[in-house]
Amino acid sequence: MRSLALQNEILFAILALVAIVSSIVMISAHRPIDSALSFIVTLISVAALFALVNATFLFVVQIIIYAGAILSLILFIIMFLNIKDENLPDEKHKNRWLFAISIIIAPFSAILIDLIMRSDIAVHGVVREGFGTIKDVGLTLFSKWVLPFELVSILLLVALVGAVTLSKRSE
Amino acid sequence: MLKSYMILSILLFSIGVVGLISRRNIIVIYMSIELLLNAVNLSLIAISADLADSSAQVISLVIIAIAASEAALFMSLFVVLFRNRASLDANLFDMLGNKNER
Repeated sequence: MRSLALQNEILFAILALVAIVSSIVMISAHRPIDSALSFIVTLISVAALFALVNATFLFVVQIIIYAGAILSLILFIIMFLNIKDENLPDEKHKNRWLFAISIIIAPFSAILIDLIMRSDIAVHGVVREGFGTIKDVGLTLFSKWVLPFELVSILLLVALVGAVTLSKRSE
Repeated sequence: MLKSYMILSILLFSIGVVGLISRRNIIVIYMSIELLLNAVNLSLIAISADLADSSAQVISLVIIAIAASEAALFMSLFVVLFRNRASLDANLFDMLGNKNER
């Protein structure tokens, strides 16, 4: 039991390092295809972090929808637009901007991390059998969260109509 | 474990905010927004595992659906903007904020 917890902590450390490094590469890469590819690495390591806390259904959803559908849509659009180097913005002071904004943002995240470290939020509820499976999540979705589910379906319809309307060529 | 998950989520959120503010490439800005949503999802999943309650997993499922619809809208916006200006520079798309029309 003790070795299992240690193993989980080692796995968490590796996955967290991969997620942070690849997201830093994502925001600092010059060409969008590089940042899209490293963002896939971030998403897959976040999915593995989901699996580490027994959220198996969300792990599958994250891999299929985020890393599968959304990121392949981004890669498809990047290749479809046929972006050349002269289409990209010339961000000569990009590293300077990134550094300055990091200095501005760092105190806020330091405050939040300090708040988390001080607080006593860990409850350690007893995880029952079948937690996080598709049956469990589906039962919760269709019993307690029916209204948000319906609203999301309306939102998807609106987004679909909006995407078609926006990309239609105006006469 | 919950605290380390929350700290990782805060770090990812801060990286996303830095990318959102400091970059000018609209595709990178879009991916930073997705990173923000992912950081929130990570903290929600950690809380749900700690409380042994699957409501937070449903909330993050809803967030993933919202991110998917957002992706569709953003992709059509990219196509329209690139067709009109042939650039990905966010500074060129200032028609709503510029008083002197170019």
